[in-house]
Amino acid sequence: MMSEHGKVVDGFRFMPPSLSAWIGKDIPDQPYSGKIPWTPLEKPIKEAAFTLVTTAGISMKSDPPFDLEREKREPAWGDPSFRKIPRTATEGDIEVSHLHINTGYIKEDINVMLPLTRFAEFEKEGIIGSLAPTCYSFYGFQMDATALLTESAPQMADQMRRENVAAVLLTPA
Amino acid sequence: MTPEFHREVGIPRVAAIEYPYGRPVGEVNDRQGQREVLLAALSVFEKAKEPGQVFNLPFTWPEEPKHTDWQPPEISPIIKLHLDEIKALGAKLRKKQS
Repeated sequence: MMSEHGKVVDGFRFMPPSLSAWIGKDIPDQPYSGKIPWTPLEKPIKEAAFTLVTTAGISMKSDPPFDLEREKREPAWGDPSFRKIPRTATEGDIEVSHLHINTGYIKEDINVMLPLTRFAEFEKEGIIGSLAPTCYSFYGFQMDATALLTESAPQMADQMRRENVAAVLLTPA
Repeated sequence: MTPEFHREVGIPRVAAIEYPYGRPVGEVNDRQGQREVLLAALSVFEKAKEPGQVFNLPFTWPEEPKHTDWQPPEISPIIKLHLDEIKALGAKLRKKQS
């Protein structure tokens, strides 16, 4: 774990201790031992096309929202679909459907979760090559990620390839 | 956000940040703060040289955890389902600490 300043992030700092203990009991103590996918960055970030992906359950008002009703009936189920979010989306264009966080802040300022405006600034300033036309949201509560991985992820990847995306920043909710 | 999950799933590059759930980039309408976080996250793309590296970002959230109001208005269905188990774990923890 790398830290140039001594800080080591405690991912459970904001969670009540009982909930941390319950969620943490399924996380291994040892480092991940499986194969981790790796695509080297092919060009400097100032030349690379980026897209953004979030797990926050953001959808365009013109699209169906994520299905929270089924999750209420089947608590271990999370909607495995995804939504395309155009880079031009603003708070007025979106719904945020998520049963595990306070969604109010995202509705006030989409950039706290999906930083479209900030990345458009970075593009204009030449910090990144570009922000792709399409960004994405899925719903992070996936106790069984099979459908997300086999159905949604390949479709997102196809669209990214069509838009020549070189790098993806994923912001978990 | 929760870099601990890296041990469970294996993430190619992690820019870990100790910010509340639902606001990993920063506070509402804090353009400068959001930019600093994102520039630090972008730097990870060039610093990471092999799969699985975790880079801890130096930022500190300005509120204490109990004031961050990140939780949903209603307990989520999965937590509701396991509430007794979670409460029992909490009681066990408190007993251990006392």
